[in-house]
Amino acid sequence: MSLETLPLVLPAKLEGRSMSHLLKFLAAIMVTVVFGLVAVSSLRAQNAAPPQPAPPKGPPLIVEGRVVSQYGPVKGAQVRLPGQSQMVLTDNQGHYDLKTTAPVMGRPMVTAGKAGWFNNAASLSWGGQAGDITLYPVFLQDDPSYQYYSPLVCFRCHGRLTRIWDQSKMAHATSNPLLLQMYYGTEQERLNGKGIAYKIAEPNSQGNCAQCHAPGAASDPKRSRDLDEILRSPLTTWDGISCDYCHKTRKVLPAPLSPSGFAPALVRQYPFQGRSILVFGPYSDVVTQPMAASYAPVFKQGEFCSSCHSHLKPLPAGNKWDPSKVYTPDEMAGFGIKGNTVLPVQTTFQEWKQWQDGLGPKDPNKGKRCQFCHMSWQKRLLPYDNYVVEGMAQHMFNATYRSPNDLHPHHFEGGTKNQLQNAVALEVNGKLDKKIFTVTVRISNTNGGHWVPTGETMRNMLLLVSAKSLEDKPLKLIKGPRLPAWAGRGDPAKGDYAGLPGYAFARVLADGEGNLNVPFWKATRIASDTRLRPKSTLKLEFVYQLTDPSDEPSAEAQLIYRPVVRPLAKAKGWEVKDIPVTAKAW
Amino acid sequence: MPRKTLFAFILALLLAPPLAGGASAGQIKGTVKPQGLRSPEGVLVYLSNGPEVMLDLSGAKFVMDQRQLTFIPYVLPVPVGAKVSFPNNDKVAHNVFSLSQAKKFNLGSYKPGQSIEVTFDQPGVVELRCDVHQEMKAYILVLKNPYYALTDAQGNFAIPDSKLLAAHGIKGVPPLPEGKYLMKTWHEKLRGDRAKVEAPATGAADVTFRLKRGPSGVLYKR
Repeated sequence: MSLETLPLVLPAKLEGRSMSHLLKFLAAIMVTVVFGLVAVSSLRAQNAAPPQPAPPKGPPLIVEGRVVSQYGPVKGAQVRLPGQSQMVLTDNQGHYDLKTTAPVMGRPMVTAGKAGWFNNAASLSWGGQAGDITLYPVFLQDDPSYQYYSPLVCFRCHGRLTRIWDQSKMAHATSNPLLLQMYYGTEQERLNGKGIAYKIAEPNSQGNCAQCHAPGAASDPKRSRDLDEILRSPLTTWDGISCDYCHKTRKVLPAPLSPSGFAPALVRQYPFQGRSILVFGPYSDVVTQPMAASYAPVFKQGEFCSSCHSHLKPLPAGNKWDPSKVYTPDEMAGFGIKGNTVLPVQTTFQEWKQWQDGLGPKDPNKGKRCQFCHMSWQKRLLPYDNYVVEGMAQHMFNATYRSPNDLHPHHFEGGTKNQLQNAVALEVNGKLDKKIFTVTVRISNTNGGHWVPTGETMRNMLLLVSAKSLEDKPLKLIKGPRLPAWAGRGDPAKGDYAGLPGYAFARVLADGEGNLNVPFWKATRIASDTRLRPKSTLKLEFVYQLTDPSDEPSAEAQLIYRPVVRPLAKAKGWEVKDIPVTAKAW
Repeated sequence: MPRKTLFAFILALLLAPPLAGGASAGQIKGTVKPQGLRSPEGVLVYLSNGPEVMLDLSGAKFVMDQRQLTFIPYVLPVPVGAKVSFPNNDKVAHNVFSLSQAKKFNLGSYKPGQSIEVTFDQPGVVELRCDVHQEMKAYILVLKNPYYALTDAQGNFAIPDSKLLAAHGIKGVPPLPEGKYLMKTWHEKLRGDRAKVEAPATGAADVTFRLKRGPSGVLYKR
């Protein structure tokens, strides 16, 4: 039936019926049309933008109770409904009084946790009454021969979390080909011992690479620290930094004898209480078996990363270097180095810490930590919901809702194109004055909470600047910085940029014979450190000569990142591709 | 001359000025054809030497939204003096900041549901970042005059861009006076181009830009 024929047909069909029937019929049509329009508009709205689930809320609820232990009341325990960021601390008597509008989902309960204790929970009545929550202490028994669980165990309930971690550089840090080649000096098949390598320079030493690249094995004094032996050992459950290793860390403490100056306080225990696995973590409300979870604040602190993202090298007895040529006294103090007998080889943690320590309390960057960027949400990880616990585990553990603000995906991204493009920014401006063309380039460390580049000293970043006339002829640089020899001598078309207008960002290690870009085991001094400090902008001027004062020249600047410094890549025969970071024109 | 013809001629003379006045607004239309981009949408086309006019921004509304770890829109052109609000409509906290010369600011970390305003008082490219989520990036292009446009999905544009002006609530933009202008383009991934254009008293001039991938430039060479 078409809309045009409707008025003609209706009277015939309704002939002889009462007015009330007619009204009912019309009302039915109206209702149908209205519902239809609502449905269509609803569908359109769904197509336009997916609905955002609102944070769940429930009726106001006051929960009261006590947190106790076998030793008496527990003061300062965090109490909350599972998954909620709103929490209260217990008083001297272990009492808490929690007012919340969070919904009670699944089995109603209230949780408690405190550093040094296993988290626990108590059932909650609908009226808000809870029985005593009993906390049990974590006894600090550490068994160095403990065999770590494979991440495959964690994968059963944290599938998405472990998949993302598995793609990170952390996950396979022991079998990293570059690491093995720098350790043994061999090629992929490890047949020929050649080139620059630790084991060639120090054949009788196993070194301390394993301390961070295979920390599970290195933390057992009975085991070999040789990377190959670790990889082949039946005691090794994973070729990198596994879930169970990190989550056995109770604290991170200063350790003057460690290469980093810091060491994790590990509590390695075999399962107890049935099948429970001891795990330390950032949550005080995780009370699900088979994990025996214990809240450890260090998981939310930058200090957690310090035991590996730092490397200080004491020089052989009697040797010294002159830090004043490279660093200010404050910077050296920030590295935690006194005197002139220790080299700051890698100082990512200290770079972050001295930046944070130098910020005022109201500075918007105050409080930024490693986890904010290297464990942040990324678009590829969306949607936010059901990230940590998924699959069958959702049904087993009541599918606790946790705000995305409190979740930290384990991607540990660093040194990738995506991250570099957002860590630094570039601006180019030009100024004409008769036959002089001045190009001003500003390079900013926008997002790096440490110096850029950071970490391993083979990494470097290059700025390339060029200017040309209106007729596309290159202009001659008469004043301004040029790239050093280690940017590569040879054909610029093949990536050898030494001598070109530009600037190099790197920490350059040198040996006693004047060689630059040497590995840490050969270094006797820091020759230069031109890296960008956090949130700082470096302004550089490049002055070009014009042949025609009426010329309308143009300029371009580009930043490229090199994971391996050019001479080392050539010596090792590595084909390392430059990562183009950004480029701007004037 | 017959009487009827004379009457028509006089009538035409009388009506001509008002009609001509109504159609005197010149316009510059055209198309941007970029190489190496999936879509020609979102290229800024602007008059670098367009007339600088006093704008009524009292009812203007410029919004740089934050949803699903994304700034929306990716490119927001605004006139000098625009006050832009930065609402956080996401489920996580964000920290918008810029180290660009045209506008340096840092809003600090703020939670979903909150919004902060920033006034952009210098022309130039302002690159936005989020300190917490490094993928997040967007641009605010601060322009000296309101004679700018963003290309549509087909790469078409018209200056003045009445839709864009209306969407932002910018009032009091006078018609583009007849004259010679320098048109320029800006896109993050395209080498900028320029063209000299003569805006007619009536009707529209037509311009086509063919752009190649390359580093973006500045808005104004000061």
